[in-house]
Amino acid sequence: MSAIVIEGYYAGLKSKADHKLLPLKEKPVIWVGTATCGKAAGAIEVREAFKKEIKSRGLDAEVMEVGCMGHCYAEPLTVISKPGFPPLCYGHVDEGLVKRLVEDFLVNDDPCYEYAMVALEPNDIFPTLTDFPRGAYEEKIILEDCGFIDPEDIDHYIAREGYAALAKVLTMKPEEVLEEIKASNLRGRGGAGFPAGIKWEACRKSPGSEKYVIVNADEGDPGAFMDRSILESNPHLVIEGLIISAYTIGSSRGYFYVRSEYPQAIRRLETALEQAREKGLLGNSIMGSDFNFDIEIFRGSGAFVCGEGTALINSMEGKMGIPEHRPPRLAESGFRGKPTLLNNVKTFAYVPAIIRKGADWFKSTGTSKSPGTAVFSLVGKVGNSGLVEVPMGTTLRQLVYDVGEGIPGEKKFKAVQIGGPSGGCLPESALDVPIDFDSLHEAGAIMGSGGLVILDEDDCMVAIARYFLEFTQKESCGKCTFCRLGTKHMLDILTRITKGQEEDLASLDILRELAEDIEAGSLCNLGKTAPNPVLTTIRYFLDEYKEHIVNKRCPALMCTDLIAFYIAPEKCSKLCNACVGSCPTEAVYTREDGLKAINQDKCVKCNNCLKACPTEYSAVIKLSPPELVVEKEREQK
Amino acid sequence: MSKTITLTIDDRKVTAPEGEKLLWVALENDIYIPNLCAIKEEGRPSASCRLCFVHVEGLPAPVTSCTQAVREGMVVKTRTPQVDRLVRTAFELLLSDHRLKCSTCPQNRSCELQKIARARGLKLKLKRFKSLGKEYPLYESPGLFTFDRSRCVLCGRCVWVDHEVAKVGAIGFARRGLKRMVTTFGNIDLDASSCTECGLCVKACPVGALNFTGEQSSEKDG
Amino acid sequence: MQGVTKRHYVIISKGDVFVLKPSENEKEIIIEHVAEILGGWRADRENLIPILQDVQDRLGYLPGVAMEKIATAMDIPAVDVFGLATFYNQFRLNPPGDHQFKVCMGTACYMVGGNIAMDSFKRRLSIGEGDTTPDRKFSLERVVCVGCCSIAPVVVVDDMIEGKVTPTRVDGILLAFEDKHQKKDDNKGNQGQEGV
Repeated sequence: MSAIVIEGYYAGLKSKADHKLLPLKEKPVIWVGTATCGKAAGAIEVREAFKKEIKSRGLDAEVMEVGCMGHCYAEPLTVISKPGFPPLCYGHVDEGLVKRLVEDFLVNDDPCYEYAMVALEPNDIFPTLTDFPRGAYEEKIILEDCGFIDPEDIDHYIAREGYAALAKVLTMKPEEVLEEIKASNLRGRGGAGFPAGIKWEACRKSPGSEKYVIVNADEGDPGAFMDRSILESNPHLVIEGLIISAYTIGSSRGYFYVRSEYPQAIRRLETALEQAREKGLLGNSIMGSDFNFDIEIFRGSGAFVCGEGTALINSMEGKMGIPEHRPPRLAESGFRGKPTLLNNVKTFAYVPAIIRKGADWFKSTGTSKSPGTAVFSLVGKVGNSGLVEVPMGTTLRQLVYDVGEGIPGEKKFKAVQIGGPSGGCLPESALDVPIDFDSLHEAGAIMGSGGLVILDEDDCMVAIARYFLEFTQKESCGKCTFCRLGTKHMLDILTRITKGQEEDLASLDILRELAEDIEAGSLCNLGKTAPNPVLTTIRYFLDEYKEHIVNKRCPALMCTDLIAFYIAPEKCSKLCNACVGSCPTEAVYTREDGLKAINQDKCVKCNNCLKACPTEYSAVIKLSPPELVVEKEREQK
Repeated sequence: MSKTITLTIDDRKVTAPEGEKLLWVALENDIYIPNLCAIKEEGRPSASCRLCFVHVEGLPAPVTSCTQAVREGMVVKTRTPQVDRLVRTAFELLLSDHRLKCSTCPQNRSCELQKIARARGLKLKLKRFKSLGKEYPLYESPGLFTFDRSRCVLCGRCVWVDHEVAKVGAIGFARRGLKRMVTTFGNIDLDASSCTECGLCVKACPVGALNFTGEQSSEKDG
Repeated sequence: MQGVTKRHYVIISKGDVFVLKPSENEKEIIIEHVAEILGGWRADRENLIPILQDVQDRLGYLPGVAMEKIATAMDIPAVDVFGLATFYNQFRLNPPGDHQFKVCMGTACYMVGGNIAMDSFKRRLSIGEGDTTPDRKFSLERVVCVGCCSIAPVVVVDDMIEGKVTPTRVDGILLAFEDKHQKKDDNKGNQGQEGV
């Protein structure tokens, strides 16, 4: 195949894109992050406000939509780039700030530095991301362009070297591409960390000419949203990776399996596919080569278990999403019984950079066994929530305290839940574990798809374990005995513990035995990993379990059946009625002496009064076990 | 596939066609391995009941024999402490979701669960786990059979014969997780569905969920 | 047979049986829509889920008669379509309320009070999870993570995502709808115009 044709084709695309984006460098541009999280925080209103202000003042400025920069704690986010200034990022933007920014910055050259969060390019005036701990630790490969390009305009991607890797691949032999991927030691980012190169090779070697490549975007772990964010912020990155994989294994049809809960990701993906087709990057003779390939989107119907490969395939074939025994592996018999390559969104997203910059470059980041970066959605009790990308080998401590800026409100760190329902809870003592596939596995957790929930002293570990078990139990497909019934019995025991109904410490032994048997006996990996949250919490937080069983007490004051709300009369003020008004069930009342108290029979433990009570009083407190209220009241008398 | 190989099951040498699933090789040689969901004619074993675990030398953990292809020189043990533990737990789990009143069950003495209990010395009583209290209304077809979902173990044999042998398509699985059930379209009674009362599903049921009534009641074989 | 003929309670929630039987008129409309949707697809088992999604996008739910039509067109047992529809979270067998509240129960939301938000909706609407109010105005569902964990707890109100939802905010959301309905009713009285 003629390399000149392909190189010429790509050069044409690139120069067109560069030319089209040129005007954006010469006038002010306002970038508004409108991924789902930004929208939820009011990004659409911000976009409209900018448009309105700019129009009413007759300014020559552009308002563009971008995806997610990962700084979710500060949404809605806006970046303003104006010639003569470094691009500046503003957080928590509202209509008032929009007015000021337009008037002071766009019209009068005052960038309102007091509102700016960070500058995006090195300069002499304002700090950049690398001046903050988070920026210093972060090293972005797959999130690099997220939030900085318009996901609905392919030229933005092309202008940033998008599809250069594809152009390069098309001049290579498929086996050369495979060697590069294998040499990079890229490991699958869906959870288990299986080497992508080996998977690709197995598919390539499988006999037959009809093969499929599929992106697993059925991101179902509660607390993980990086796949959504990548698809919403930079869909072409994943598309390019998928096309490269198809070329490598010899496939002419690919699919995106996306949860239907992610409508915006689906819409942006549809637009991206359409634009890629228009540019000759999909369809027949891609970039003038003789390689033909196209992509369809399959909307998942809301079943967590479909993240499992064989269940995903069943669902694509119009059946219940129920896992099958393996072997045969998907590489031998997958979609329509043909060899199929299934990788996670992030795995595909690494591919273009690896091809462009080489396997050695990729391996220079991360650890020797887990090269590259890890993407986490940092949520829960952490100052700086959002999407972060750090080199493998970064410790959990650095992630929580430096990147995430620690626990807010002077609370004490308790645990980090990593890997979602298949993962585990790691305590303070495990904070120096480096983040890579093997170290996390040893500690009892898994990398999973990268959900990282930080828990503090107010979070009950038994309740967390119960929460995840309830999740797996609800999401179990119900096919195999261990998962269908075993998780139910585990859940029942945990429920009894959190309600103070479990009398016998021996129930912990049953819990452990059952967990081990479910691990060994389940049909699929979802079942096999379902007991992990319970096993790790028993391993690291056994005392909390015992407190619940022996003393009927929830040390974190979280299990509603084991706590009661109480208003301390010595702290309460006669002049304040905040709690009374906040109570949805009229349980809070005013005593004869004007102080407030709670009618325990009516209380639904919704936490409202505690939130409503002004901090100068902090009179509402939680007590566990609930019988303490009676004691307190007796003391009063 | 036609090549004949020799393997050892519980110290007995047996021969079988290469690639045949271990469960069938054992059963055909009168070596019992507990099973509920296995159907020999089924292309891809459903492997859902999780009772047919065996130990294969060289493998780190017990495997289900319904999915394990036999090969030359394979050494198999149907009983090891590890295997017994998994089988016992799976069995107890199934019992916790099965109405356990054998004396009133039409399938008493020809029930596959009773057979497993006998073969493996397991009790037909719940000790470790509490009963999940599954209760469904009993369905009685006009004159031919009854369907008691409270005794159903979700092995799927009835659905398979309905779809693949009788080719009727009256029953199927619905819902998921703990609520997974064998039912009809719209969850209506069988006589209102497309059921032809051919009785094949009743014959396929290994437990007391589907039972003939009246004269045919002796026809069903456990 | 003695001893087993006793009738026990049924473990089935409303979501699985067709509560509403469409009238003949409605049935005709449903069949028309389904025929139109089927016209756009190859009648292939692989397309079953996309077809069901299309039908639900159009009608808001999967009526029994629609499922039967689809099964016939694909030449598969209707019970298989029913099984599929009851397996996946996305599908509903009964019409939803005019407004849907989906309370997120992802980890991040749960940790900071997703269940409290859920309880507040249940209390205020007097319905359970997966139910619709008798006047069919509101329905309440749980969803597993909408991926907006940094503004937890999250409730999806129709298609809008509301972050940091407290019990007070729940009251606010409901009040806003009551106002809207009030206005709608007023407008109807005056000119029959659509409310805001």
